[in-house]
Amino acid sequence: MTLVERVRENRAVAAVDWPRATALFAVLVTLGAALQVMYHFIDVVGLPLAFLAIVAVSLVAATALARVLPAWTAVVVAVVLLALGLGWYLTQITGNPPWIALVADALSLLGGRSLLRISNVRAWVLGVTPGPVFLTWYFALRRWYTPAVAVAGGTLTFFVLTGDADVVTTLTGVVAGAAALGLGDFERRDEPIARAETVLVVAAVMIVVPSAISVVPATAGAAGPLAPGLDRAATVEANLMDAEEDLAVQGAISLSPQVRFTVSSDEGDYWRVGSYDRYTGDGWVRTGGTSEYRHGRLDSPPGPSRTVDQTFRVETRSNVAPAAWKPVRVAGLPGASVRNDGSVVPGETLEEGDSYRVRSEVSDASPRQLDQAGTNYPGAIQSRYTQLPDSTPERVGDRAARLTADAETPYQRARVVEQWLQNNRNYSLNVDRPRGDVADAFLFEMDAGYCTYYATTMVTMLRSQDVPARFVTGYTAGERVDEDRRVVRGLNAHAWVEVYFPRYGWVTFDPTPGGPREAVRERTVQQARENEVTAVDTTDTGGTEEWTPTDTQTPEPLTTAAEGSSNVSADADSDTIESPTLPAGIITQDLDGVNATGVNATGTGAGTGDDGPLPRMPTRQQFALVLVAALGAAVGVRRSGVPERAYRALWLRYQPRSDPATDVERAFQRLQYYLGEHHYRPRWDDETVREYVDAIDADPRARRVAAIRERARYRGDVSEADADEAVRLVNELVR
Amino acid sequence: MATMTDTDTSQGRQTEPALREANRVVTQVIENVEEVIVGHHAEIEHVLTAMLGRGHVLLEDVPGVGKTMLARAIAASFEGTFKRVQFTPDLLPTDVTGVNVYNQQSETFEFQPGPIFGNVVLGDEINRAPPKTQSALLEAMEEGQVTVDGTTRTVPKPFTVIATQNTVEQNRTYDLPMAELDRFTKKIHLGYPDQVEEAEMLGRVVGRHPIEDLTSVTTLEEFQRARDTVADFDVEQPLRDYATRLARYTREHAQLGVSPRGSLALLRASQGRALLDGRDYVVPDDLRTEAASVLAHRVRPDSAEQTGRDVVRAALDSVPVE
Repeated sequence: MTLVERVRENRAVAAVDWPRATALFAVLVTLGAALQVMYHFIDVVGLPLAFLAIVAVSLVAATALARVLPAWTAVVVAVVLLALGLGWYLTQITGNPPWIALVADALSLLGGRSLLRISNVRAWVLGVTPGPVFLTWYFALRRWYTPAVAVAGGTLTFFVLTGDADVVTTLTGVVAGAAALGLGDFERRDEPIARAETVLVVAAVMIVVPSAISVVPATAGAAGPLAPGLDRAATVEANLMDAEEDLAVQGAISLSPQVRFTVSSDEGDYWRVGSYDRYTGDGWVRTGGTSEYRHGRLDSPPGPSRTVDQTFRVETRSNVAPAAWKPVRVAGLPGASVRNDGSVVPGETLEEGDSYRVRSEVSDASPRQLDQAGTNYPGAIQSRYTQLPDSTPERVGDRAARLTADAETPYQRARVVEQWLQNNRNYSLNVDRPRGDVADAFLFEMDAGYCTYYATTMVTMLRSQDVPARFVTGYTAGERVDEDRRVVRGLNAHAWVEVYFPRYGWVTFDPTPGGPREAVRERTVQQARENEVTAVDTTDTGGTEEWTPTDTQTPEPLTTAAEGSSNVSADADSDTIESPTLPAGIITQDLDGVNATGVNATGTGAGTGDDGPLPRMPTRQQFALVLVAALGAAVGVRRSGVPERAYRALWLRYQPRSDPATDVERAFQRLQYYLGEHHYRPRWDDETVREYVDAIDADPRARRVAAIRERARYRGDVSEADADEAVRLVNELVR
Repeated sequence: MATMTDTDTSQGRQTEPALREANRVVTQVIENVEEVIVGHHAEIEHVLTAMLGRGHVLLEDVPGVGKTMLARAIAASFEGTFKRVQFTPDLLPTDVTGVNVYNQQSETFEFQPGPIFGNVVLGDEINRAPPKTQSALLEAMEEGQVTVDGTTRTVPKPFTVIATQNTVEQNRTYDLPMAELDRFTKKIHLGYPDQVEEAEMLGRVVGRHPIEDLTSVTTLEEFQRARDTVADFDVEQPLRDYATRLARYTREHAQLGVSPRGSLALLRASQGRALLDGRDYVVPDDLRTEAASVLAHRVRPDSAEQTGRDVVRAALDSVPVE
């Protein structure tokens, strides 16, 4: 038995093999960073338990096979697992031929498209998971940390490229990977864990440097991982319109007063741009692709409808082509395509002065009809539009169920939720982006928000009650400047809700309270005019020759639409169907609940007040990173010896006084340090002070101090004057 | 070292008359002895620090380097009784201690004091006498008294034995056992004088030997007072610790190390050393100066190649001073 083996064995018996334990832990953290992203996917689309089971089985299999399986076989096993997984995923895909889907997916994913856009992300995650997990853990157990980190890191890199791994997750993975490599090295060389503190220092540098750099103005666009709340100030419009397939719910936001479109239409309506079907807890993702618009008539909505013709004149460059729901015919949009939800996408960027025409069929279903629509949803609609992340807190569903307890039909439920949100939340653009589920936060922690929050929450609540609903973005009707003309500004950007009714299709609901929203918009326009911001007005607006009659900010048809579903009040039957009134008890209860949690809300930084939100608590991950950084910094500082030297420098120069004996001794210690460190050599252990001062041929003042100290120490004889003299002499010498 | 001492005495704030007086006595004795002994200044000091520390000295070296002369010169410097015993293989204990002699006139036994009853007793070639005779001397050294026919008699004060022993002719000697060596405060090697010193010495003694003209320079009372002064010198805790550490080191690194008696002897000799330096307190340097002569002969090294002196030097080199 070699010495090393014996040492190993002794250690195994004696205690935990710390380098190995920490190295394995670091590998697990790296792998965990990648798995965390996957878990988020699976959480959004459901079946997280299956995912966890697959991870567990892979880990167990790797543990069992680590000792018996040769490395190459293991690699082959992993590759086969991956191939099988992807193959299974392909069998789950409908529509496109599998291989095209796969290639298209891979290309678009690596180009920074979120994986959530894949329709069947669940199958993808479940299929892809086993291979990397198995291989990573296999290598780690065989002490091959480099390949282990390479596999886990490669998986994480993939998600970094797709943009699904956020900065904190990425940083965690990278730091843990580096730590795993470093610790693995220590483990292989059989060195004690205490020496691995350099790894800690490196980790700290890796954490601190990117955070510090992101504070530099030039790169401040990308907020550092440890600097929460540095979200770019954005406009509602930019948030809603620039988001192509992924819409992240943001924090404080502003309004742009610039004119975007001028609409000529008989009716003012919600100018719809697009809808989102997949809710991720912190935003929205649109799945499914587009198809070419072939200058034919698109499907009309089922049920009664009326035709609305609109002409949009583009006043500012735009990538979107708003239209009233539901467009059936489009002209003036070359290369336009149609999303699978029915919205129209322009083929190229629309320039100022361009115009296009849209004919829409606006649903004319009456509340009574909607109320009686029933729940006979098509399977595809039901599965796609009642999806909620598995991690959605139960209380969201509970609250929705309680609110809608008296509502018997989906329509009533939708109205109850809509009205409750309108009545019980304040409109504010100045909110902090909550952590965790947006709907949950808006329901239980926040007391104010803007359209995105209202709409997100309403969709979530309806989906929790199995009512198919989706999140819709677009513009409100705009400022009416003439009988049939409206000016749509950036600040008209809006988000609302569509609820599906069998036999009638998608019907618009808007949970955002109309009054406050309009007030904010009007203020913004006024301010912009006062500040002489350009492009606020067209020739038609803001001037003296305004179109006078009914100049409300939200034109007539929409005033009612904002209160209820878009076309309800226009219908003759509207009076016959009472909107289900909300049980008063519930409202009070909920208001109380809001007030009670409102206290928490400020505590968690979700408050909206102008008195400055409190800094939000860091997440556990951020906290861990900060902790590693702090520990590393501490170790680094200690190893650099700076505090020691600083303390010494101070200690050497300034002597607090106490009793003479202590003073003399301390003065002497300072002298000795000064002589040893700065001028000659330290006194040897076996050398008396007399021998020392002779050997270094010390200054007479030093000799004098030594003599005073000698008497003090060996005769117990020291006076205040001695102490004064010793301290004075040493001060002279060292300063 | 010199500078520090100068600084000290120039300030003179703590220098009491007793210290100055004691210092004067010792300095005079040393000067007096140096009238006769050329070189060996350090050894003379060593003998005196041992005497000031109420101890006894063993001078060991080859014949003819002046051991006896040194002892005689020191003895002659005191106005006290000086006795000399030449140890031989047939010397009896009573030849040292004295004997009860029957007085026919008074018809009683009268005690006839031996050479041990002196203030300075020179025991020449002590290793030539049998152990029984040696032990008679050693009892007096340790106890300050001798017992003859059951009667215990006190030797005069001050009482110092300066013994010599030859390191040649080992086959006809009775080496002192460790237990008895331990009773000597110091064992001092004189060594040969260097060329200049030897020439000087020859010049001085070639005619009439100066020892004949040597007169005492101090009274017994003065010397006794000097001893008492020295005994009061401060030996602070750090020094007691240092002495203990040195002793412990020798115990850990030799077959037989320094006994507590040895540590005590070291501190006492160091007090004498402090007086020579004009201080009334002991510093670590005193211990280091005294350590070799006080401790080396009490150590029995592990191996034959090593000497006790090597062990003590190793102790001084390895034990931190403070």
